[in-house]
Amino acid sequence: MTMLKLFTNMIKEEWRVHSTIFGSLSFALFPVMIFGIAFMGSFLLPIFRTVLPAGDLATIIHALFLLLGIMVGAFGLIGMEAMNRRFGQASLLAYSARSLPISERTIFLNFVVKDTVYYFILWVFPFVAGFAIASPFIAVPLALPLLLMLTLTLSFLTGLSLIFFLSTIYARSKQMLTLLLALIIIGWATLYLATRISIAILYPPLALFRAFSWGTLLATCAVIAIPFTVAIVLFTSEYTDTTKRFSSALTPLTRRFSFFPYPPLAAKDLIDLHRSGSLIGQTIFSFLIPLGLLWFLLSVLAQVLPPGGVLMLFAILTGVIASTIYTWLTAFDTFSSYTSLPISVPMLLTSKMCSFAVLQLIPAALIIGVSVVSGGAAFLFPALILCLSVSFYALAVTVRLTGLSPSVLVYDPKVLLIYLISIGIAIIILIALAFIHPWYAVASVLLFLPAWLLVKSGYAKWDAEEQQGF
Amino acid sequence: MTVVLEAKNLTKKYGDVIAVDNVSLAVEKGALFGLLGPNGSGKTTMIKMLTGQIRPTGGLATVLGLDVVQNPIGVRERVGIIPEQETPPSFLTAVEYLDFVGEVRKIHDVQKKADWWFDFLEFGDKRDVLCKDLSRGTRQKLMFTQAFLHNPTLALIDEPLINFDPIMQRKVKDYLADYAKNGNTIFISTHILGIAEEICTGFAILHKGKLLHTGTVAALTAQDQHLDDFFLTLVQKG
Repeated sequence: MTMLKLFTNMIKEEWRVHSTIFGSLSFALFPVMIFGIAFMGSFLLPIFRTVLPAGDLATIIHALFLLLGIMVGAFGLIGMEAMNRRFGQASLLAYSARSLPISERTIFLNFVVKDTVYYFILWVFPFVAGFAIASPFIAVPLALPLLLMLTLTLSFLTGLSLIFFLSTIYARSKQMLTLLLALIIIGWATLYLATRISIAILYPPLALFRAFSWGTLLATCAVIAIPFTVAIVLFTSEYTDTTKRFSSALTPLTRRFSFFPYPPLAAKDLIDLHRSGSLIGQTIFSFLIPLGLLWFLLSVLAQVLPPGGVLMLFAILTGVIASTIYTWLTAFDTFSSYTSLPISVPMLLTSKMCSFAVLQLIPAALIIGVSVVSGGAAFLFPALILCLSVSFYALAVTVRLTGLSPSVLVYDPKVLLIYLISIGIAIIILIALAFIHPWYAVASVLLFLPAWLLVKSGYAKWDAEEQQGF
Repeated sequence: MTVVLEAKNLTKKYGDVIAVDNVSLAVEKGALFGLLGPNGSGKTTMIKMLTGQIRPTGGLATVLGLDVVQNPIGVRERVGIIPEQETPPSFLTAVEYLDFVGEVRKIHDVQKKADWWFDFLEFGDKRDVLCKDLSRGTRQKLMFTQAFLHNPTLALIDEPLINFDPIMQRKVKDYLADYAKNGNTIFISTHILGIAEEICTGFAILHKGKLLHTGTVAALTAQDQHLDDFFLTLVQKG
């Protein structure tokens, strides 16, 4: 009974956290939006199949749900920190073992089950339901979506169990974690070298999707259950002392950033990124991995695109993804830290955008690298201009729509829709221009004008709003 | 005497909820003024409006001669503020946060001043620790330090002693009393009546967003009344 009560309250809590941030109606519409995207996207499958083998597409979708599980698990573990930044002194049931007569393991077990059920309803079910409803129209047997529902759920759970397992080990000993990761990589590599079986096949949920058998299902469940069980057994809230000491870096950095409009704010941004681990982590997981995937997908389209088309398309999409670097700068910051100081919202927005400008070196370096490696160096200049113009324009749209809380974009369908339309129109025009001739893409610099106007109106809008955390 | 803080019919509504209802009060230079009231009476909302953190729905407020709606940044430049929740930036160390405040407020000799505060509030051993790893008491010390680092002539403090141990409470109370005696003004909001009775010169009682009373502790003492009895009677009536 206690377990059930705890579970239902955790579900309610998760819902209220999300609906408080994004609004009840907006958040309730999120699964509907996922359903709609999956439903409409399914009709593109016959086109995709002509250039991309179905197996590769399945690999990508399973990889995305694995990543979703990892992200959800990681957010759950840093939830307290994130909630405190969003709501002030927040408290979640997951962290209340000391005030309730329930063991930490019981709470953790409920937390795991809650995440599984909640995100299944929020992501997995709407996605597969959209595909299932569309399947009769695209000549896909109904058994396939049902199998996909099973394997995507297992893929999501694999990510969740993996991150819980690794974080529990991390809490006990960093050396043990390093050793474990090394063993996993060596073990997997040895298996691959010995059998020459594709690494993707060695991923159990995908293997199950490709060839269903009860044995594989059992093996997949074991791969998920064992790390979960170990995580629950080893779980402790008595972490090893993580108090770190740092020598002062703010003043030297402030001097180095003296050319910025607000040097101490820029210095703080860089310190936040470095010490939170976001700079490396986000660059790899939110930038390089998705873009690597994109490059792979676009390369397949090379035969049907005009010369330089792949590079131009990649530059545009890199620009869109590069604009999300803004969320790196706001994720570990809240306006409540500034309430006692003479700092206004426009000052903070300006500073974040300047830091953003510096971080655009990352997409710029990527475009330079890809242009050279892919033999498209002749179009490097227009590709670079295109990427940066799109990135700054998308940033301006984000600032206008979400101010200092860009994470709202993810779950608020209304905001997301306006964002997609604003960005989509510009992208379609730029793709058309770049496909006529790559050098026409230089016209994308014109985007800086609407970007400037959007930022200006964003200042007025967000300065007039009472900021969360105040 | 010079009035340094004045509210006229100040009102704040959140939808149908009236957090602060038509409050008027004035605080003179050199006062140690206590805004008293039970939890949820509107004290924090008052401080937020007076420091330009939120906009009033109605009424006017001036702080050190500046309109808090027209010039909130000007107000925050001049005053010291300790908010109710101690939220220094998580990934800066204690000393870096004070450096940050020094840079933003353009304070000379910030390190010398910070050293004095580390010594006075006895948390020098935490200077290189990330703010997220500090205890609530140490965070409160840090927030206290940042509020006084630029020697403001007016400080607004929401629950000044809530996370301090008794020894530190004594030290801070003495500091505040001396600060006011030197011609500066302190405006505190608290529901701990002992603090107000001990150190405040003037006080106001807020209940359910309405101002019930303004007066001085000396006047109460002259009538042989205790602040807590007076407060309870008034609040129970109101």
